[in-house]
Amino acid sequence: MVTDGLLTQIRSTDPASGLRAAGALRRLADLVEATHVEIARQQGWSWEQIGDALGVSRQSVHAKYGK
Amino acid sequence: MFERFAGSTREAVRVSAEEASRRGDRRIGTDHLLLGLLHDSDSAGALGVSLDAARTKADVLDRKALESIGIDLGGYLPQPRLRARFRAQSFTSGAREVITRTLVLTTGEKARRITPRHLALALLERQQPDPAAELLTELGVDRDDAQRRLTGA
Repeated sequence: MVTDGLLTQIRSTDPASGLRAAGALRRLADLVEATHVEIARQQGWSWEQIGDALGVSRQSVHAKYGK
Repeated sequence: MFERFAGSTREAVRVSAEEASRRGDRRIGTDHLLLGLLHDSDSAGALGVSLDAARTKADVLDRKALESIGIDLGGYLPQPRLRARFRAQSFTSGAREVITRTLVLTTGEKARRITPRHLALALLERQQPDPAAELLTELGVDRDDAQRRLTGA
């Protein structure tokens, strides 16, 4: 949950740290996604169900992770 | 662009693309060129750092940056076996500058081949803000020392 305090902190951070943090968040989001796509597949989720959970199409999630 | 690259320099650039993909970056940056260069044991020796140490420090820099905006990951470290399939292919503008610089350094020495040593020297010249410069600082590399070792001066 994003609080006012966090938003203030984000604004006051120097750009080198702030921009790196944005990149790190993107990399982290990709890792979290890949980790949980893998778990979902192991638990028998279809590509369609995974796509719906991520808010993307079945095709795009399959193209990214499918064999 | 890579005609004058020695085989070992080409290899360093090739593995730097892998380092970028490994970190989840779409473009090859100066930090990835540095990681790629460290696959070469002679270069790692000249810079006095190991590939593992550099990879760890790159993660440390990410964590510090996240903490600076108030995000503490604690011990959370997702490590998926299943990888998104994409390959980093293009270079960042900083990485292109480094590649250009290697050629300038090579012709300055009247050398024919662009060697990993030229790549190391070009990376040591980077000034912050730059990902390779940031990583070298975090690794505690003494640039002047390393430069002297690499030029034999």
